[in-house]
Order: sequence, then structure tokens, then C-alpha cells
Amino acid sequence: MSPRDAVGEISPELGAIRQVRRRPKLSWSMRIGAAVLIFYVAVALISLVWTPYDPLTPGVGDGYDAPSSAFLLGTDRLGSDMLSRLMVGARYNLGITLTAVAIALSVGTTIGVIAGYHGGAIDTVVLRAVEIFQAFPGLLFAMLVVQAVGPGIVNVILVLSFVGIPDYLRLARGEIHSRRSWQYAEAARMVGNPPWRVAFRHLLPNSIGPLLAFTSINAAFVALITASLGFLGLGLGPNTPEWGNMIARGQDGVMTGQWWVSFFPGLAILGLTGAFYLLGDAVSDLTDPRRRR
Amino acid sequence: MTAGGVLLQVRGLRKNFPVEGGRHLVAVDGVSLDVAAGQTLALVGESGSGKSTVARCIVRLIEPSGGDVVIDGKSILPLQPHLLAGVYRRIQMVFQDPNASLNPRMSVRQVLDEPLRLHLDLPRAARTARLRELVEMVGLTPLHLDRYPHELSGGQRQRVGIARAMAVSPEIVILDEPTSSLDVSVRGQILDLLLDLQQRLNLAYLFISHDLQVVRHVADRVAVMYLGGIVEIGPTERIFSAPQHPYTRALLSAAPVAQWGVARTRLRLVGEITSPIDPPEACRLVGRCPLAQPVCAAAKPALIDIGHDHAVACPVVVDGKAPFPSGDLQPRLAAAATRGL
Amino acid sequence: MSGELLEIENYSGAFRAPTGELTPVLHEVSYRLKVGALTAVVGETGSGKSLVALSVLGIQPPSFVRRSGRILFRGVDLLGLDERAMRKIRGAQISMVFQDARAALNPVFTVGRQLADVYQLQHGGGRSAAMKQAIEALRRVSIPEPARRARQYPHEFSGGMAQRAMIAMAALICEPSLLILDEPTTGLDVTIQSDIMELITDLCRVGGLTTCLITHDLGIVAETCDEVVVMNAGRVVETGSAQAIFTQPQDPYTRRLLAASQLVEAAA
Repeated sequence: MSPRDAVGEISPELGAIRQVRRRPKLSWSMRIGAAVLIFYVAVALISLVWTPYDPLTPGVGDGYDAPSSAFLLGTDRLGSDMLSRLMVGARYNLGITLTAVAIALSVGTTIGVIAGYHGGAIDTVVLRAVEIFQAFPGLLFAMLVVQAVGPGIVNVILVLSFVGIPDYLRLARGEIHSRRSWQYAEAARMVGNPPWRVAFRHLLPNSIGPLLAFTSINAAFVALITASLGFLGLGLGPNTPEWGNMIARGQDGVMTGQWWVSFFPGLAILGLTGAFYLLGDAVSDLTDPRRRR
Repeated sequence: MTAGGVLLQVRGLRKNFPVEGGRHLVAVDGVSLDVAAGQTLALVGESGSGKSTVARCIVRLIEPSGGDVVIDGKSILPLQPHLLAGVYRRIQMVFQDPNASLNPRMSVRQVLDEPLRLHLDLPRAARTARLRELVEMVGLTPLHLDRYPHELSGGQRQRVGIARAMAVSPEIVILDEPTSSLDVSVRGQILDLLLDLQQRLNLAYLFISHDLQVVRHVADRVAVMYLGGIVEIGPTERIFSAPQHPYTRALLSAAPVAQWGVARTRLRLVGEITSPIDPPEACRLVGRCPLAQPVCAAAKPALIDIGHDHAVACPVVVDGKAPFPSGDLQPRLAAAATRGL
Repeated sequence: MSGELLEIENYSGAFRAPTGELTPVLHEVSYRLKVGALTAVVGETGSGKSLVALSVLGIQPPSFVRRSGRILFRGVDLLGLDERAMRKIRGAQISMVFQDARAALNPVFTVGRQLADVYQLQHGGGRSAAMKQAIEALRRVSIPEPARRARQYPHEFSGGMAQRAMIAMAALICEPSLLILDEPTTGLDVTIQSDIMELITDLCRVGGLTTCLITHDLGIVAETCDEVVVMNAGRVVETGSAQAIFTQPQDPYTRRLLAASQLVEAAA
């Protein structure tokens, strides 16, 4: 059988595919989202080595200084520099969010894949457990648990990741469950893969699209809950420069004209949440292998 | 058919699926067959016949409910699942839909490399050589190795599927409708490729298909399935030129021929199809068969040998007491229709 | 007026990619459908046969762009009509049956209700009269116990039976002059295929319905069709009577297609 025979086959639809460019086109939403996120990460990293002033020391300014050349974003009621506090706050908000999302993603997906591939009793038990868990609204649950286990950044991260696990679990489970009887899953068994490898190495990568898209939305949600917890004063110490906490501390100032104390942290949260949403838009397109070449 | 050449033996294979209400759907009901090296046995039937389930039960992608599968003298059903890898070095499968059977995220190289790594545990140099060998064996070039499935035509994808099955040098290959999803002009090439490989490597083929024309082209023996059981089995030419079982005759008479001026007389089976859920112990054709006698409803008929390596699961036909009229059976069918509905 | 009901004249078009690039897929396609004849349009995947049929009814994919050509139905260029005029033609004059009948039927309505709805849309009148017509149509396509079946949902129908229901809707309820069937038997068992083809040929001969059968199965074509149009890669390569195409194919592609369809030509 010569290659000539293979090439001689009728394949007109290939013509269209060959014209797709090699590099995927990055949409504007993706660029903006990525740029904002990179900016936040950069700020957080820089804050490790330098901030204009010490964020935790009060009295650097007189208290409630308006934005000026000395204090670019003003000072809060106690006189701490807003810019420095915001920069350090990036570490908190971004760090907590990303860590919690990473934990929820890995734990939830793993359990979901196992439940989806096995089916049967394991699947039923896992699903029922998740359903019970999801009966509690996320923020309320987080509040209760944080109060119960006490403050501390580790506790906050763990609580937030727990809130996110059920969604990843269900998503992964659904994707795997629907794909496990596809022929390439059967072929993967014939080729020598044990069941767990079929599920993780073959089926899961094909489900990446929806999972990643959901991750962005979930990250936005977690960012908001983090800020909400901070706003309510739960989980972290009262002087922590976390953005939600800072908004709460600046509440008095809003009525009396010192708008910058709550405004800039609010803007920071808005930017972070928005960046995640924008990224989510474009991520699932990019992971489609049909776009890759 | 020498016993020494028989590589795959299936005896009394059964598969039931539980259905709500404590009942069972009988998908495969006591199937026995042999496949010898260098020979092709075709398993023919329509949807619901159980032929695909038989294929999957043989390789234990679905666990059979009963019966035995013997490969080269050793039964493979009692094996623990993690020991099945050894079995898959001797028996492989080519799947029907080349779009669904290739992982869209894996390049051809990755697809073919996997069995070499997992089953044969070859070092990299040996794998590279074998990859080249495999693609050329199926009529592709090493250039195709770095392509992804969506960059290949349907026929090319199926060639990759065939190469994947051949990667471990199996002795037995189950082909589950390998050309049904392909364009007509490509079908012939793929079938020729399969025949060529069979000859070179002395492979035993179990060829599952609903397409009688294709079967006639490739098979040495044909087994016709209906609702989970084999109703007739024999050499290809005998089945096509002198079919015995009423279902085989109905099936053959329904297949159109791509030639001008061929007059066909259609043999019709009218009436409700027996439900595969908790079926009674009787011939599955009862209620649709123009030859039905009391003995048909009394017990499920076994395959009766009628010589020349040909067997039929119909005591009425074998008996010869109710002679099978040639041509269209319309007048008798009218009686059967009122009874069956 | 000539004996042609539908005439496709130099129809060319391309698919527009999201980037704006045009990929030509149809090249000067021309063929005619004779009144009362059963014409087959044969071709493989990518030949464009379905695309032309969808264009006739004005339901081609939005990414398809017409470059040139006309589609004349009784002398009127369908491509020049607006949506309102096309709606009057769809169903009443030209009707279509698709490949997967169970997918084409709405899963949340009973089959009888769907047929009755179409009847009312085409002919007006009350619900019970429409329902009677629906049941009658089901009976005429040999669906046993039509009254009971009319109360069932599409998922309770087998593939073959659902296809009969679709044919009932398209050919009997709608009463068109032209019926187009796009791979109506693909995916069905061979015995069911045979039954469906008999139904279609009955409707065509007895009802005098001009029928266009789009298929890749030459066996069906040899047995039932009067005229054949062979398409390959967006072009018409040959047309003629079925007898001529099968006994004296002119184009090399036609000959290859026939040879491939007759795998056992040596043995037979």
C-alpha cells in the first residue's frame, strides 16, 4: 500500500482547516484581563520588597490626608498610607483567592473524575454528599465556619476552598461521565491504560475547556467572598490591609467627604473580579485543540 | 477448520443488563464461535442483534454475564482486571468511528506510541523504528505522525486506528464496523488494507458489520445474529447463495444492489419484534416468521448442523416438512401478520 | 413551460470563515428535476449535495455566501425572494425530510400534535379536524395503530417509524409539489431502509410527486430512481437517466464510485 493511495483519498474539508493560522488570535478581553492580573501580581511581588511607607504604621500622615504628591492615594483615618496598604493588600486578596481556587480545583476535580469514571455506588455517595453540602449558601457557610474555627489566614483559605469544591466536582464528574463510554476511552483501555489513567490522562484533558472557564468565574466569586469576609471583620485581624477590611474601615469617611479610603480598595476589588471574568471568556476557546494548528 | 489453527473460542457467551423493575435485558444469549488464524469470521446483524456487545464482551470492555472466552487455549474471563493487559497483547480492536476513537488532543505519534510504551515497554529507539514501520504498514507516511486527528481525512484516521491495533502485533483482531463511517470510495481501500495485513501477518479477524456487501468481500465464514443469538453460521458463499434461516433470507433480500436491472424479491417479516427484556424460552422469531410451528414456541432452537460446515437454528427448515417456498411470501405473510399483531 | 419543476443554474458559493476568508465549496452547480420523476443526487461527504438542497429551501447555513447562480422553481428565482415569500413556499410547495427523524421532531410534543400543528399551519381549520388528518397520514405511511401512536412522543418511536412520521408530515400533511429527502435512510437497518424506500417510491409514483433523493447509497438509487445527478467536491460531474449512469458511466469519478459500491463485481 503506497502513500500515493492514502493521499488520493477524497478530503475536501481539510482545505478549510489548513487555512487556520498557526497562532491563535488573542481577543481584547483576554489581553485586558491578563494585563490587569499581571499588574496585580507585579504589585503584590513588589510589595514584598518595597512600599512607599510602612503600611501598618499609623501616624505617617495626619489622618485622612487627601491624595497628594506625598501620599498618592491619601491616608486612612489612622494616618497610614493608602498606597502601601493597597499594595500589601494585593498579597492578601490575590494570594487567598488563587490559593483557595487552586485547592478547590485540584481536590474537586480529582474526586469528580473518580466518581464520574467509576459510576455506581461511589458516584451516588459523592453526589449526595455534594448536594447536602451545597444546600448552604456559600457566603453564609463561610462566615459560620470561619467564626467556628477561629481567625487566621490558613483557616480562611481552607474555608474558601471548601466552598468551591462542590462545583468543580460536579463539573468534572459530569464531563467524565459523559465521555467514559466514548470509543477513544475504550481504545485507551485496549492500549493498556489502567482505568485511572484513562480517566485522568485521556478524558480529563478533553474536559479542560469548561473547567477552565468555570475556574475564572469561580476565582471572581472567591475574590468577592474574601473581600466580604474581610469587610465583615471575620477571619483576619482588624489592622490587616486586606481590601475588604479597608473598605469597612473607611465607611465613616464616605459620609464626611474622605472618599478615597473606601474608594480605592473598592476599585481594586472591582478590577480583580473583572479581570477574572474577562479571562474566563477567552480561555475555553484557546484550549480547544482544533484551534491549535 | 483445523483445531490447531483456532485462536479464539467463544462458548455460550451471555450478557444481561438489569432494567428497572427487576427485569433483565438479554443482549447476548448464548453465542458460540471460533476464529482461526488467517481466517475472517463475520458477525452480521441489524441494530439490537447484540453483535457489538459480543465484541466488547470478548475483550471485556463489558463484563459478560456468563459463558467463556478462550484465547489460545486459556480462558480469559477469570482473569483479574489488572492482568488483562497481557490479553490485550494478543487480541486488539479496531473501532467503528474514526472520529470518536481517536483522542482529539493526541497526535498520531502519541496515539501509536502509547501501546508501545504501555504494552511492550520498548526503549525509545525501538519505538521510533516501530512507529515508522506502523505508519508505512497502513499506507501513511512519517509526515503524518505529527498531525492531529482533525487534520486527517476519515480514511486516514481509520488507518491510524488500524495501526494502533497492529502496534502490539496481536494475533486476533476484532473489527467493529471498521468501514461503516467511511465514504464509499474509501471503503474499498481500507478493506484491501485489512485483507493485505491479514495475509502478511496471518491474523484472525472477527469482523462485525451490518453491511452485507462488505461482508461478502472480506469474510470466509459468516454468522448471522438476531436478538442476541446466532441463527445461522456457515461459509460465506453458502450463506449468500443458499441461506436457510428465515431471518437470513429476509435480511439478504432487503439489501439493495448497486447494479442496473437487478430484480429483487423481498422476503418480509411482519409483526412485532420480540422484546429483548425477559424473553420467553422460544425462537426469537415467533410472531414474525411465516414458517412458525408449535415447536418454535416450545423451546429456543439450537444450531443444527446441516453439513458443509453450515448450521441453522431452525428445526422447521431443517426438518423440511414445511418446504420453504421461493420468491415472495405475501399470501402466507398475510396470515402471519394477523397473528403477530 | 418545460417539464422541469426545479432548475439549479450555475450555483456557486463559498463558506465565510470567522476571519472573513472565503472557502469556495460549490462550483457552477447545475441540474434539473423533471416533473413527477424520482431524481437522485449522489455524492460523498463534502460533495455539496446537501448544501444545494438547503439552499433551495433558503435554510442554508448563515456562513454560506452565494457567489452566483439561480434556483428556478416554476420559473421563479427562489434566491431572489424575501423571507415572507419563502415561508409561503416552504411546506406548501417544497418540503424536506432530513436524516435523523427523531432529532428533527420536537421531543416535548406528541407526534400527532406536531403533525396536526403543521396541518393547521398549512390548511387552517380546527384542532380536531387537524388531528384526524394527522392520524390518517400516519395510517397512510403504514404505521400500525396510528391513533395510539399519535399520542406518543418521538422518543417512543423507533428510527424507522419516526422517519415514516416525518415523511407523513412532509409529503402528506404538507402536500407539496416537490419533496426533497436528505439521506432519509442512512443509519437505519437495511430491512427498515427497504421499507422506507418503498414508501417513498409509492408516494412518488402514485401521488405524482416530484422527488429529489440525496444519498450516497448507490444500491437504493439503482433500484428506485429515474434520474441521477452525480456530484463531487462541489461540482456536478455527470447527469443522466439511472439506466445510463449505471450501464454507461461517462465520467471517471462516476465509474470509480460505481466500482467502489460494487465491491464484489468480480464475484457477482
